[in-house]
This record gives sequence, C-alpha cells and structure tokens, in this order.
Amino acid sequence: MVETGHFALVLAFALALVQTMVPLFGARTGNHKMMAVGAPAALTGFALTALSFVALATAYAGSDFSVESVWENSHSLQPLIYKITGTWGNHEGSMLLWVLILTFFGALVAVFGGNLPATLRANVLAVQGAIGATFFLFILTTSNPFVRLNPAPIEGRDLNPILQDLGLAIHPPLLYLGYVGFSICFSFSVAALIEGRIDASWARWVRPWTLVAWMFLTGGIAMGSYWAYYELGWGGFWFWDPVENASFMPWLAGTALLHSAIVMEKRSALKIWTLLLAILTFSLSLLGTFLVRSGVLTSVHAFATDPTRGVFILCILTLFIGGSLALFALRASRLTAGGLFHPISREGALVLNNLFLTTATATVLVGTLYPLVVEALSADKISVGAPFFNLTFGPLMVPLLVVVPFGPLLAWKRGDIFAVAQRLMAAFAAALLAVLVTALFIDGASVLAALGVGLAFWLICGALTDLAVKSGFGTVAPATMLRRFAGLPRSVFGTALAHLGLGLTTLGIVGTLCFGTEKILSMQAGETVELSGHKLRFEGLYPVQGPNYSEDRGRFALLGADGSVTGEITSAKRSYPVRQMTTTESGIRTIGFSQLYLSLGDEGSDGSVVVRLWWKPLVTLIWGGGLVMMAGAAMSLLDRRLRVGAPSRRKAAAAVPSASPQ
Amino acid sequence: MLFWVIAAILTLGASLAVLLPLAGGSKNASAAGDHDLEVYRDQLAELDRDMARGLIQPIEAEEARAEIARRILRLSNAGQADDTATQPSRSTRLVATAAVLVVPLVSWGLYGQLGSPDLPSQPLSERLAKNPADSSVDELIARAEAHLAANPSDGRGWDVLAPVYLRMQRYADAVTAYRNAIRLDGDSAARQAGLGEAIANAAGGIVSAEAQAAFEAALKLDPANPKASFYLVMGVAQEGRIAEATAAWQKMLAALPQGSPWRGAVEQALAESAARSVASKAPAKGPSAEDIDAASSMSPQDRQAMISNMVAGLDEKLRQNPRDEEGWMQLVRSYAVLGKTDQARDALNRGIAVFGADSDQARKFTAFAASLGVTATE
Amino acid sequence: MTRKQKRVSVIAAGLAFLGVATGLTFYALGQKASYFYMPADLATASLQPGQRIRLGGLVEKGTVERSQGATVAFSVTDNQKDVKVTYTGILPDLFREGQGVITEGSFGPDGVFVADSVLAKHDETYMPKEVADGLKAKGVWQESKSD
Repeated sequence: MVETGHFALVLAFALALVQTMVPLFGARTGNHKMMAVGAPAALTGFALTALSFVALATAYAGSDFSVESVWENSHSLQPLIYKITGTWGNHEGSMLLWVLILTFFGALVAVFGGNLPATLRANVLAVQGAIGATFFLFILTTSNPFVRLNPAPIEGRDLNPILQDLGLAIHPPLLYLGYVGFSICFSFSVAALIEGRIDASWARWVRPWTLVAWMFLTGGIAMGSYWAYYELGWGGFWFWDPVENASFMPWLAGTALLHSAIVMEKRSALKIWTLLLAILTFSLSLLGTFLVRSGVLTSVHAFATDPTRGVFILCILTLFIGGSLALFALRASRLTAGGLFHPISREGALVLNNLFLTTATATVLVGTLYPLVVEALSADKISVGAPFFNLTFGPLMVPLLVVVPFGPLLAWKRGDIFAVAQRLMAAFAAALLAVLVTALFIDGASVLAALGVGLAFWLICGALTDLAVKSGFGTVAPATMLRRFAGLPRSVFGTALAHLGLGLTTLGIVGTLCFGTEKILSMQAGETVELSGHKLRFEGLYPVQGPNYSEDRGRFALLGADGSVTGEITSAKRSYPVRQMTTTESGIRTIGFSQLYLSLGDEGSDGSVVVRLWWKPLVTLIWGGGLVMMAGAAMSLLDRRLRVGAPSRRKAAAAVPSASPQ
Repeated sequence: MLFWVIAAILTLGASLAVLLPLAGGSKNASAAGDHDLEVYRDQLAELDRDMARGLIQPIEAEEARAEIARRILRLSNAGQADDTATQPSRSTRLVATAAVLVVPLVSWGLYGQLGSPDLPSQPLSERLAKNPADSSVDELIARAEAHLAANPSDGRGWDVLAPVYLRMQRYADAVTAYRNAIRLDGDSAARQAGLGEAIANAAGGIVSAEAQAAFEAALKLDPANPKASFYLVMGVAQEGRIAEATAAWQKMLAALPQGSPWRGAVEQALAESAARSVASKAPAKGPSAEDIDAASSMSPQDRQAMISNMVAGLDEKLRQNPRDEEGWMQLVRSYAVLGKTDQARDALNRGIAVFGADSDQARKFTAFAASLGVTATE
Repeated sequence: MTRKQKRVSVIAAGLAFLGVATGLTFYALGQKASYFYMPADLATASLQPGQRIRLGGLVEKGTVERSQGATVAFSVTDNQKDVKVTYTGILPDLFREGQGVITEGSFGPDGVFVADSVLAKHDETYMPKEVADGLKAKGVWQESKSD
C-alpha cells in the first residue's frame, strides 16, 4: 500500500509534465486533440495524488514505522484522530496535502471548464500542470514522505504535542484550500497573458474562484488564530508572527482581487490591474509557503528547517513570480483597457479599496521581510513585531473601514456622494450613539476605545443600511419591500454579510484590546480571585493520565454572586514523555460573546501555583466575524450569475457547475 | 508481485488519459468570440432582470445597455481572425508520441531510483501479532510498553523495564520508568541510584543537580550504596575538585568489601583522575561503569570475550535500529581496535548503506574510518 | 477642471497617499523594530534609556529565583557576560535552566533588564535561531550532530 502510494505520486508527476507540455503546444498550434489532453490528465493526476495521500494516511493510521515520516511524527499510543491528522502535521505530509489540493482545483477546472474557450482552458490547465509538476518534483527530491526504513523501528518519536489538537486537523487544510485556490486565478491570468487577450468569460471565472479561495483562507486564518489563542496559552489572538503574516498577505491581496474582479466583470475596467493582482496574490501564497517551509523564519509553525528545501522553494518562487511578472511586462500592453469612470462611483470606491489593501499588504510584506534583509546586509539582528504593525497597518485600515459603507451604495460609473451620505445618516447616528454610550457608561473607556466601538457599529449598521436601501425601505410599501428584499441578488446579501462580519471582527478586537483585563497571581488551593466581576476559587491540582501524556489539572470553581458554584474551569500542565515536552492547556469559559481565559504557570515549593487570568470581552466576535465573512462569500457563490463560468449555453445547459467544492 | 500488477494498471490508466484524447475524433470547439458573445447576451438579460426588480434606474440601464452593445460591436469587428485549424504536422506527431512515452518512462525510471518496491507495509498491529519467539528485543520491549500503557500503575512493570532501558541506552525512557517505579512502588536505594544513573547518562554523563539529588536520596536509604557514592564523587570530580574527589574515592575504596564489583571502577577512576583531569572527558557512551569495572577484574581471556560480546550486542542493536550515527562509528572503531579489520570494513559499508552513499553521514563515516586505517573497499 | 486635470489630480492624490504610507512605514521601522543582542554585545551597543530590545542567550544555571507572586528573576548568559532579567508572568513551558531563551523588553534604571515577554524554544530540537547563531559566532555552542 505504501509503495503503491509512492508509485502513484511519481506517476502523477509524469502526468503533470504531460499536462504542462501537450495542451500548451496544442493551444499554440491550434491542435484541438492536444488541447483536449489537459482535462483527462488533470483528472487522472488528481486521482493518483489522492491515492498517494490515502496511502500515506493509512500508513499513519496503522503506525507503519517502516515509513520514515511516520516514525518521526507519530507514536503508537496517540489517539487515532491525531495519528490521522499527523499525516499533514509535518513538512512532508503537508506538502503532499498542498499538491493534493492543487490537483483537486485543476480537476475542478477540467470538469466545469467545458464551456470555456478551448485555448483558454488548455492554457489554464497547462499552467496548473506546471505548478503541479514543480511541486511534485520538490516533494520527490527533497521532502519525500514515502522514504522507507528497513528494518522498521518499533516505536515512533511522537507528533509535536502542540500539534496534537483538533485545531490542527482543520487549520492547514483550510489554509491550503485558500492558498492553492488562488492558483486558479494565477493560471487564468498567465493563460490570458499567453494568449494576449482577456475573454469576457475570464472575469466570470476568476471571480468565483477568488471567492472560493478567499472563503477558505478567511476560515483558515480565523481557525489558526483561534488555535494559537487557546493552544499556546498566551491569551493573544494575533501575534504578527511571520508565519501568520505569510497567510495574511495573500488574504489582503485576495480581498483586493475580489473587489477589483467585480469592476472587471461589470464594467470591463481595471482588466490589467486585476490580472496583476491575481498574479501577486498567488505569488504571496507561494512566498508564504517559502517563508514557512524554508526555515528562513523560525516560528511556532515551522516544522522543519532544511537549506536544500529552502533553495528549491526559492527557485520555484523565482520561476513562477519572476516568470509571470516578466510575461506580464511583455504582454500587458497588448491587452485593451476598459471602460472609463468618474472618481466618485462604485468603481472609484473599489479602486480606493484596492489602494488601501495593496498598500497594507506592502506594509506587512516590508515588516515581514525587513529583518531578513537587515540580517543579510549587516550583522544586526532585528525583530519587527506588533508595535510596528500597530503603527503602520492600523492607520491604513481605519480610513478604509470608514469608507466601506459608502462603496456598495454608490452607483456605477458616476455616483452621488451626498445622496449616499444621506442614506447613511441612520448608520452614522447609531455609531455616534455607540461612541457616547461607551464613553459615558463604561468605566475606564478611553476616547480611542469609544471611537473604535463607534467604528464597529458604523460598519455593522452600514451593512444593514445597504440591504435596507436596496429593498426600498421607507420609500415603498412594506409588502413591496419584503418582496424586493427576498428578490435581491444573493451577491448583495454576500456583500452585506461580508461587511457585517468585518464590523463584528472589529468590535471583537476593540472589545478585547480596550476593555480586557488580566491578573497574574500565585494561588493556594481554596483561595479565590475576582476579575471584572467574575469570582473564581482554586480547588487544587489533580493528576490525570491521558493516552500518551500525563497532566496536572488545576480545577477552578466559578462562583456566583451568592458564593454558590455556577461552573468549573480547568487548565492543565500536560507532559508528553516521548518528546519530553510540556504544554499548557488553557481553561476557557465562554460567557455571552466574552470569555474568561485561564492558564497555569509554575508550581511553587509551597504548593501554590502561578495563575494568569484574563477577561476578554467580546473576544469570540473576532472569529465569529470571520465566520460571517465566510457566509457572505458562500452567499455570493450561490448567486446564479456568478455560478456559471461562462453563461450556460442552451445546448450545454447540463454543465452548470456549483462552484463550491466540498 | 501484487505491487507490480497495481503499478502496471496505474501506468496503463495514466497513459490512456493521454492517449485517448490524442487518438480520439477531433471536435471542433467554437471560436473564442462565440463565448464572449454569450457572456454579453447574459449581461443584457441580467440588466433586464435588475430593471424589472427596480434595482437600477431606467436611465442607468439604458447607458449600460449601450455600453454592452458597444462591446458586442467591437467583438464582431475583431472576430473571425482566429480560425487556425492546421493539419497535424510532423512536429505535432512527434510531440504526441513523446507525450505518450513520457508517462511510463518517467514514472518507472524515477520510481526505480526512489522506491523500495520489495518492502511490504508493516502496520504495527500486524507486527505485534507475530509469535513472541520471533520478536526482537525491541519488539518485546514494545509489548511491555503496550502493557504499561494499558496499566500505567503497574509499578513492578516499570521496575523491570527501567534497567532494561538503561542497558539499551534509552536513558530518557529509563528516567521516566524509574520515576514511575518510585512513584508507584515507593523509594528504594536501587531505584534512586538507577534514576540518578539514567539522568546522568541522559545528560551525556554529567552528574547534574537533578542526578545528584537522586543519588543523595539513594544514600539516605542505604548509606553503603556503592553506585550512588561513586557517581556523587564523579560529580565532585566533574566540578574540577579533583583532589577532593580523589580523597573521597580512596575512602570509598577502603570501605568497599573485598570482591565488590565496584572496586575496579573506583580504581580506574582514581587512575584516570591521577593521569588527567577527569572532568574534561565524560564517560558518556560505550560500556557503562559496571561493565568497565567488571572487565577490569577479569582474566584477560574473559575480558576479551566480554568485549567481543559487547561489540556483538552493539552490532545486533544496529541491525534492529540502524539509524544511529554514533552507534555505527562506535562499531567501526570497536572492530578496528579489536583488530578485526574485515568486520570493521563490513560495518562501515553497512553504515553507509543505511544513510545512502552520498549522505553527509556516509562522508563522515568514511573520513572517520580512514582515520582508523579502515577503508570502504580493499 | 478638465478631464485631464481631474485625472492628474487623482493620480497625484494616489501618489501622495503612497508617499505618506511609505514614510510611515520607514519611520515605524526606525522606531519600532527591536534589535537583538547577546549579553556580550551590550558593551558596544549604544542604547537609549528605555529602548526596547531583544536579549537572547542561555538561562544561567542556578540563577532562577521565584519570588513571592509571579515575578521571576534569572540571568541570561552567553558564557562571556551575563545580564540579570526580571519577568512577571507565566514562563513558557520549555523555559529551563541551561536552555536557550529570548527575552524582549528594556533596561530599567538599575541596570536590570525588565522583560515583558519571554520566548523559549518550542521543542527539544529547536534552539531560537538568533541565539543559536549568536552562540555559534562566539564559538561556545555547536549544533548537535543528530538531525
């Protein structure tokens, strides 16, 4: 089984080579038979990669230590679920997951691309095949998960304990679906550059793919943030860690792409810019892979550091980013520019959005790479952390958030800013009220905190105003309004939901940062502590034996106003003997949208234990907002107009894809 | 055999995926312009729907309609130029043939380089289900570990396993096992001394504060425990207080009964501390202190036999657990020192085979062996 | 304004925006990037009072003192010089004597480094990269042969 998987992987590499060369050649010479090779090659390639992945997962599940990567990252006593998730909890396996998703997206193009122009489809599949071939080669030569050991060791070295968590089961696949989803946009862009023309169906294809990728990336980042929040026990939700930035940059660029693709689809404007943005977004995804996998940056997430891998990925990076940008420089002038528009219009607002988002991306990029550059040029070692990003990223985001509610209400081509401002009066009043209530009624609220709350409410109410205005609230009879509301295009709901989610996330961040409290103290069993009106009593430490770890579990009783016990929070110091590692399992209790967060420190000689306690108001909204944004993207995907790549042709009406992969 | 059948079927399937479209009938796809026209028609229909819903003002709708109409016009002017269906030329046929051949050639060629087709899958449950008599020491230990994982409070089990770990040089596991034995079955001088020895060996032979605490606990239970006293003095010596250590060892030697296996160890330590600073070289790996002291009180023949035994044991261990860089170098050295050049060469070749001929380790082995006068080939 | 003037002014506004953003970024890099030092480097470093830095090295054996409450004091050493550090909070799970550590914070007036975050390595094979490089440069540490 293991060797079958290995062989399938090699075969998939060979097939990817064919998928690159033959359709590309066919598209150049106008040979339809050759162009037709792309689709079956992509489908078979996906099937082979899936077979390979299943073979590896089986080896992990069955603790087959004759496979080196299983021996290094698994242990026979691990619970089955972590044996399986361990498949991608290491460098080799996660790269295999990466190409699996890449070939999956390629197969989707093959299946649903039946109504694309033949040459475009052939070129897209060829580019997709080229990305696949390089990564297959990378895996086979530097990170082969199927390297065998003979004789096989009898016991593995265990999976890194901080990765033994359900969050890990979900986080990387979501993130990779996002990263790799942008490869489709990239392939479409490069295909358009190779052909020297942008088809009208181009934008219609690129937008749903951007939506899919963006949706998964949003989920992946939110999941990763939550995982770091509860697993690392530091109580923070975002650390501006280079690896977090590596996923955040494609997200920012992808968000810009999502918006410029709308302009392109509706107005045929910003074509060249959208194309460039699609290339940049995937380039940033590749850069993210490079930063994480090469070990250039050390971080919580870095599994392995190996210079040959770094050099190989750097070559891939140069090949694809450099190649596509060179192609862009050569061919972009051939593409025709699109329609004109007034600065104050929906297009104008979307351009402003792009300006802010790409600048913010650049800021994050500078902050992430600057330490590498400085270290390369001088002997100094520096670190760029939260203070830098707060000073640069913050000022860029605030004005963007302020203008967000205006965008969807402006008309295409030429808008009326005053009419829109009038419609937003209610939202503005709500935001103002929020500022006043915060400033007057919440103790210790700073002006900045009050303004932050106001900004969040402005976003939330602005999104709701958009829906109200579009369904004719206040101008037509209630019955008509309801009918109109129900008849609104799904993409309008999508926009409103996404902007609403943004507002919720903002509210969560402001709430946590400005109104959160914390305490560090050393406690004896029986002692009580109070934080922001929540009373806790430390009940003591109890030893607990898990399957492949043992832990000292600290139990805390949550006390009501009358001193009765209303709940329990447990936090533990867990020790994994195989790797001789200790982890902290934080204790979390959700109260409304807020959370009480508790983490255990060292045990003192007198039986006391250091306890760090946080009260995090509205913290769950940070990730809840992410979920709402994902829902918005899903809603937009359901829109009939976006669902079809090209409009459904009468004779091929059956080939209507649903662009939401499983 | 089954594997080769599966591989052949997979290759056939992949080749067909390339071959069939190339061999199949040519379907003439519509020109790109048709697709664009469809898109624009759909946009017009969408515009009508939006207007019916009242989402867009009639004037704006009119403007938009005019714009789409302009795009359609531009399209019909530009179109008609991309019909380039050509006859299959020689180069086309060449590319097609190459493409069909690439799949089997690249996959079988590359797999031949990378794969281990003869190695079956070995899921742990299958391996453990084998007859115990066929199992290796490692597998027997794995059984004991599985038993202890299921009954972690079996103190006797830990007590039995701990010295085995120590002998297998799995010091970290030995530390855990001794700790568990002490926690479950209570203190004893032997367990505490064993714990100390495991901690010290895990740290490469350095008697750390933690190890020291264990030895002191052992002495509290049995003031005459020689292992604990010996290692405690070793700790003193490692701190550079050679004179103090020498005095302590001399005192220990005087107190030890005639025939105690520890006499030899103490004598050797004394000799070493006299010769050079003990602290500079930690007796990390290789034979443990007991083995050395046993060896030093033997007849030369017996000693030779014991050393051979130990080397054979190391050899066996490397067969079971080959990815042990230090182990291979030690084995090569041992054979070379014993004068068994052929076996040294054999060990060197086997070590290189484990890591691959052009790995870093292989280079290191070769260089190391060369320094001992052993070369890979005659 | 003619159309051309309008376009020029829009482009000018865009460029001005980018200029401000660039300026802000470089100002922030100058102000907020924290430099990494090992204890022996401090003698030659000219630090402003209160400047944030990262201090890395090994936790010197036998110097970790836990006082009442959650404040911990220890020394960070590169085997040449050592610096006393205080930290209030929960130490990372892998904080141990003799192991690599990175602390971030600034020097107090009494010459004691007050850290507000302490990072230790994440697993047995990982030494904070800066610390490993620094120690290698000083020749006091070699990469372990395994791995």
